[in-house]
Amino acid sequence: MASRAVEVAVGVPALAPERQATWPKRTRTRLENGLEVILAESHTIPKFHGELLFRSGNAAVADRSIGLAEMTATVLRSGTEKRASRQIEEDLRRIGADLSSHAGSDASAISFSGLSEFAEPLLGLVGELAREASFPEAEFERERRQMLEEVKLQRTQPGFLAGERLRQALFGAHPYAHIAPTEAQVAGYKLDDLHAVYRELYTPQNGLLLLVGDFEPQEMLKTIETVFRAWSGTKPEAKAFPAPANPRGRRVYLVHMPGAVQTQILAGCHAITRKHPDWIKLGVTNCLYGGAFNSRLVMNIREDKGYTYSPRSAVTPLREHGFFSVSAAVRNDVVAASLTEIFYELNKLRSLSVPAAELADAQNYLSGVFSLALATQQGLLTQFSTVAEHELPDDYLETYRAKVRAVTPEELLATARRYLDSANLQMVLAGDRAQIESQAVLFGETEIFDAQGDRL
Amino acid sequence: MNPLHIAIEHRKLANGFDVVVAPDSTAPVVTVGVYYKIGFRLEPPGRSGFAHLFEHMMFQGSANAPKMQHIKLINSSGGVLNGSTSYDVTNYYQAVPSNALERVLWLEADRMRALKVDDENLRNQRDVVKEEVRVNVMNEPYGGFPWLDMPPVAFRNWANAHNFYGDFADLDAAHLGDVQAFFKTYYLPNNAVLLILGDVQPAEGLALAEKHFGSIPAGSPPAFGDPSEPEQTEERRGHVDEKFGTLPAMAIGYLLPKRRTADWCAMALLDQALHGGRAGRLYRELVLEKQIAVEADGGIDDLFGYNGPTQMTTRVLHKPEYSSEAALAAFDAVIRQVQEKGITPDELEQLKVKWRSDYYATLESGRGNYMPKFGLMHLLACFTLFDHEPQLVNTILDGFLAVTPEQVHSVAKKYLRNEKRAIVFRTPVGSGSPADEGVKEAA
Repeated sequence: MASRAVEVAVGVPALAPERQATWPKRTRTRLENGLEVILAESHTIPKFHGELLFRSGNAAVADRSIGLAEMTATVLRSGTEKRASRQIEEDLRRIGADLSSHAGSDASAISFSGLSEFAEPLLGLVGELAREASFPEAEFERERRQMLEEVKLQRTQPGFLAGERLRQALFGAHPYAHIAPTEAQVAGYKLDDLHAVYRELYTPQNGLLLLVGDFEPQEMLKTIETVFRAWSGTKPEAKAFPAPANPRGRRVYLVHMPGAVQTQILAGCHAITRKHPDWIKLGVTNCLYGGAFNSRLVMNIREDKGYTYSPRSAVTPLREHGFFSVSAAVRNDVVAASLTEIFYELNKLRSLSVPAAELADAQNYLSGVFSLALATQQGLLTQFSTVAEHELPDDYLETYRAKVRAVTPEELLATARRYLDSANLQMVLAGDRAQIESQAVLFGETEIFDAQGDRL
Repeated sequence: MNPLHIAIEHRKLANGFDVVVAPDSTAPVVTVGVYYKIGFRLEPPGRSGFAHLFEHMMFQGSANAPKMQHIKLINSSGGVLNGSTSYDVTNYYQAVPSNALERVLWLEADRMRALKVDDENLRNQRDVVKEEVRVNVMNEPYGGFPWLDMPPVAFRNWANAHNFYGDFADLDAAHLGDVQAFFKTYYLPNNAVLLILGDVQPAEGLALAEKHFGSIPAGSPPAFGDPSEPEQTEERRGHVDEKFGTLPAMAIGYLLPKRRTADWCAMALLDQALHGGRAGRLYRELVLEKQIAVEADGGIDDLFGYNGPTQMTTRVLHKPEYSSEAALAAFDAVIRQVQEKGITPDELEQLKVKWRSDYYATLESGRGNYMPKFGLMHLLACFTLFDHEPQLVNTILDGFLAVTPEQVHSVAKKYLRNEKRAIVFRTPVGSGSPADEGVKEAA
């Protein structure tokens, strides 16, 4: 089916003058024990949101086992020297609070929110979890059993299997190659391992406390001093891993899911970290490609061809290495057709300068959406946390919009040529081999795996 | 007890269109929603999934904004947008920098006035919706569980019992005439409400609403189908195959009291006693203590947003070494305990503090970080469309905070009865069975 010419809207009201977007002032300090503290006021509701972040996650302890920081974070909330699991959960409810603890590749965090009137007891509990978690044996065994079921369930999800395979393809022997442990790894966790991870990673020198919400910063600082002052601990030794090899040439990884009625496409290549000077340029490039509803890929394979519901592309900035990826869950009979369009749009951005009006649309989008975070406590917290976790410049938020608007069509072309690396794209297809293998092999040498990760 | 007051201006235009403005200049952004009082519950018989398919069509072009222009104009103004279809309402919403407010209103008014779509648009979106169903339901472990599995077991009236995402044969049968008829019947200013929240002066918001929507003609009020159910007198059970997942699952749903009654408030707190996270009785008992289940969650899905028969539904995934009957017996023991002993004043006090805290979060928060005030928009819309009283957003909390332990005990006995519940078992079929078995799909 031929594409139709795009028609334009008639009589659209012009935009009014833009109102200044102002980020709230941050109060920063460092306690004597090394804990970094960042506070910002936001009085939208009588609550506050916070995060106690530690700058080490699963990657830092990957030489011991995969997912060990995540398991540590999971068991963390189930007991302290003073409170049993049930007491912790009821105490949270009594003060109207929510709390979760989790770990990613590069960081571990206790995240929480609660009523301002109960800031002190909530911070007290957070401090207790960070300093005096007791890791009861029975809770550990229960969580391990839960984790085993979750790990099994993941292997039935197309999105997970595709994500796992792409990480393997891009990162090889590096810890970033793993997004979840195997059943055997979970079965092999020892309680002592969790104690050790907790001791090493959860220290004030490795920590950052971020609070956003309805409070008076100087008073909040006093509470923080009271709760966290007596805590001590050093920064864990940084571990360096050899840089992963950047895979050359296009390859296809087919993850066989018998009976799948759709195919999850996930393709990607190495890119850059958030600290890289090209980060914002790549963000604009990604926005044009598949990072927004109004992007080329969505217009093509969804709105024109109807191959898929939710195509998108993204740049994922892990701390040491970033990667670009494009994903779409498509009808089984249009896998090859979808890949063809995915490459067409990549190569078009690499070949032709972007029209000025289209670039301006993307710049307006990124700059406008950025300011939506100003309206909520959680939105602000997320932005401040990103800046702190990736150690971005202090004025990152204040200068972001101007930097987005400064990107030129020439820079965009150069950025696409450099990072939308279509010649070396690694393509994962999670779907039914019988339906899609003949389409897969059209795009490169094809390896086939089962859902357990074994080669077929 | 409730220090939060939301400023609200409400006006009904001459064509019957409700306009609600909630100003707040904290950030230079504004959230705009249009809610139509039609959801998938009352979509036309023989056209399952049509309300949702129609929602997609609302992005396919209107008289002055052809296909893709609505999306392009919102994105290029720095905003995000979406729509969703639920039981009794369909919504369209966008969050934009406040300098784009008039543009958003113009776009929403243009598609309320004159939807302009063709056969090619319909074919395209039918394909997109099928992939949406595949990705969310047919190709995903526990997809559609229990929101699509429960209705045919629990209910007898087609309105409440059919497949809300749509049988593929019904989606294929839908034609352009259906689209225009549905639009003419339900997409009327007098069957909708406009919400403007955030960086706007009330007078400006109301004037812009009048300017863009005031001349859209009212239509005859829609003759809504009857969603009422015959009285349920015995427990209902059903079975669904799980094609991918490895754990047996079950969902137990109890009929809820009528909206905005004292029983409804007590039931909401009972729901929290049972389902309120890790402190909730079901999670604590089934997952943490007896360790029969891996997941035990659920509850009342959208307390303020339903306007017909609905349930409080618990979702349990349990370990394979326990039989379904054993898991159900453990669930029943939790229910029996609250029926026999009620809840203590201390537990209720905890629940109320958490309820108040959650309510504030609902008012502020959005969908992810990028749709500020989504919760407030939803409440204002439902209170306007169902209750004609958007100001309820400032008083509704009082009813919940006044609930007594005796009331919670009483609703536990009155509503958590076996003859008022339905149970769906979703059982793994093991590996290797054909995934499309039993799924209706046109060739």
